[in-house]
Amino acid sequence: MQDSAPSWLVRCAVASAALLLAWYLATARFGPALQQPAVTTRDGSLITLNRYAREPTPDVVLVGSSVMWRLKEEYFSLPRVRNLALAGGSPVTSLEILTKRRNLPKIILIETNVLTRTPNAALIEKFSSGMSTETLLLRPVRAAVAAYETWNHAAPDPAQARAERDRLLSQPPSTFDNKVYLDRAVEQMNGDDPTAPTRANAALIGTLIDDMQRRGTRAFLIHIPFAPKIEDSRFVRTTRQIVHEAFPAPALWLPINPPMGELRWDDGVHLDERSSLLVVRAIESSLAERGDARRP
Amino acid sequence: MVHAGPAKWGGMAFTSFHFGAFVAVVLGAYYLPPLRRFQVQLLVLASVFFYGFGQPELLPLLLVAVLGTYLCLVLAFENRAPWMPAGIVFNLSLLAFFKYKLLFVDAASAQLTGVAPVDFLLRLPLPIGISFFVFHNISLLVDLTREKRPPRLRDVFLYIIFFPQLVSGPITRAAQFMPQIAPKRLGDVAFVEAAKWILTGYFFKLYVANNLNEITAYMDYPLYETLRTQDRWLLVFLYSYQIYADFFGYSAIALGLGLLFGYRLPVNFNLPYISASFSEFWTRWHISLSSWLKTYLYVPLGGNRKGPVRTGLNLMIVMTLGGLWHGASLSYALWGMLHGLLLVIERPFLKHLEDAGPLVRIVRMGVVFLCVTMLWIFFKLPNFDHATAYLKGMFIATDMPNPPKLFYNLALLYTLPVIIQHVSIGALIERRLRRWEPYLYGALAALAFLEAGPDSAFIYFQF
Repeated sequence: MQDSAPSWLVRCAVASAALLLAWYLATARFGPALQQPAVTTRDGSLITLNRYAREPTPDVVLVGSSVMWRLKEEYFSLPRVRNLALAGGSPVTSLEILTKRRNLPKIILIETNVLTRTPNAALIEKFSSGMSTETLLLRPVRAAVAAYETWNHAAPDPAQARAERDRLLSQPPSTFDNKVYLDRAVEQMNGDDPTAPTRANAALIGTLIDDMQRRGTRAFLIHIPFAPKIEDSRFVRTTRQIVHEAFPAPALWLPINPPMGELRWDDGVHLDERSSLLVVRAIESSLAERGDARRP
Repeated sequence: MVHAGPAKWGGMAFTSFHFGAFVAVVLGAYYLPPLRRFQVQLLVLASVFFYGFGQPELLPLLLVAVLGTYLCLVLAFENRAPWMPAGIVFNLSLLAFFKYKLLFVDAASAQLTGVAPVDFLLRLPLPIGISFFVFHNISLLVDLTREKRPPRLRDVFLYIIFFPQLVSGPITRAAQFMPQIAPKRLGDVAFVEAAKWILTGYFFKLYVANNLNEITAYMDYPLYETLRTQDRWLLVFLYSYQIYADFFGYSAIALGLGLLFGYRLPVNFNLPYISASFSEFWTRWHISLSSWLKTYLYVPLGGNRKGPVRTGLNLMIVMTLGGLWHGASLSYALWGMLHGLLLVIERPFLKHLEDAGPLVRIVRMGVVFLCVTMLWIFFKLPNFDHATAYLKGMFIATDMPNPPKLFYNLALLYTLPVIIQHVSIGALIERRLRRWEPYLYGALAALAFLEAGPDSAFIYFQF
């Protein structure tokens, strides 16, 4: 028998509303902050920042662009390190979020390699202060996949992380031929003039550092090494000149000395895994020399 | 080469909440008894508002296109021989100017011709939906000039700019649409059928296409260079599902909306990925475009009536022009040309293959799906160099460090609706579980809302 249109439509609407209500209750029961898989850079940023907002304030925080993003948290032997670098983003975004929250970490490392990007106002607004970053309704398929992935690929425990670091260090430096990508990166980095946005962001960073220092946080500026050809590019030379003019005090800088001969880049800009680990070691060593990292 | 690039639709996307409010208001007013006499005018006004909401600066162009076509139509009733071709040339000129001008000029440059009105026209963006309303205009000129008297201007306006089909079709023939223009009553509306089309359309767009769009973003330049070889293959197949879900979704919503206002638009898709031949594929994919090209281009060129060589040539001409209709790019032309070539190659074998068993049919379906899918690369990457570089990378092992991680389980879950639809499980469920049908559609609506991918424009809006 054919249903009447009103009956069909009402049953359809009721089924839809009932499912939405059930899922709302399930979300409230199982936790709206359940981590979902990051299939894009934007997803990755949201997960990173969600985690920061949810968990206790760490001791050391890294901010920057995709250059800093490569320095994975599990490469650090220091506990309580969070990498809030945003691939494709600006260090100012994470810095603003940090300064607008009640508690600050003890140390903040600020990458100065790429300062041409504008801060992401939407992310800053979403994650600033004590605002809730939780969603009312989880995405069911992504939540299910996230649960499976978490079960299947749990985060490494400290012993596993240490073993992975040892494995990476025992390998020889990569022999990947990145010439095509390097040449393209060099061309791009000799293209547009980065002066105006870099000056603007350097000024913003200066203001934010003053604020953080007043609240007892130590902020360090850091330059992650690029491939030599990239270091000679107009982009890097201009950026370096601007930030050193803006921040002349040596105490603000964290100099690092990784074994340059062993560093490799996928494209001249982004370090490969082993090189990222070497740079992390150099950062830890430099922090230790300053006696900052483990100070209570 | 210069590529026109997709136009940005700043207006009311079908997936926006303000579009929902717009439809609700127009629908409410449309069936009010005091306004019944003005239903056509109301729809025309609503369609103008819909189009102008996104690109108000292009409303005069739409007006010129409709009025110019109407003028040629009226004159063609007095003397068809010169005025019908004149109308067609007028419309094709509009299409050619806006679609292909960027091949010759850089609209962003400070100095163009130095003549202010010409520079103004050259700087106008590609009008959304121009490919579709120009085809409507041509259909109007060809179909209706055989009638006894010209249609009313308001009816012509409605046919050309009816908002559910204005931006991306389906390309409705004038002979199918114009007879439907009559007073409509609320009691005659096929609400359940409309709801099924609309819910299915939104589900395919929001759940399938928008989520797959996030994953297939890795096909864009230069991201694809970081992909592993097997992931390049996977993404091509995902894009194949995405473009289907995106366009089928749009067409289904358009059809459902049309029904709400009492107009039946043509079905645009019929499970294209189960086609066992390329000619069958074109009777199942973007049906309204292929039948338009067949009626107004292939048949007038001589179709298959002038021997096998001429038939092959006609197929190549039609498919290449069909490719170029999508955009001024070598990739689109090559895409059309290769489809034409496949149609020509398969033609002599079709008779022999028709009687083969089910196993052969399945193999043929696989071959057609594979070829069609590979050719979508030229759609995804309209820059020819990027498309060929992507293709090349599919056959070379890559050693790029740190390739992006793709979630295969997520990809499968997002493509599942297309697969289920194509293997006809949906039809089976429809027969067996008819009494549960409203609940199933309710579940689809809930899932589309909960699991909607990030908003992205309909792929065919750029054409």
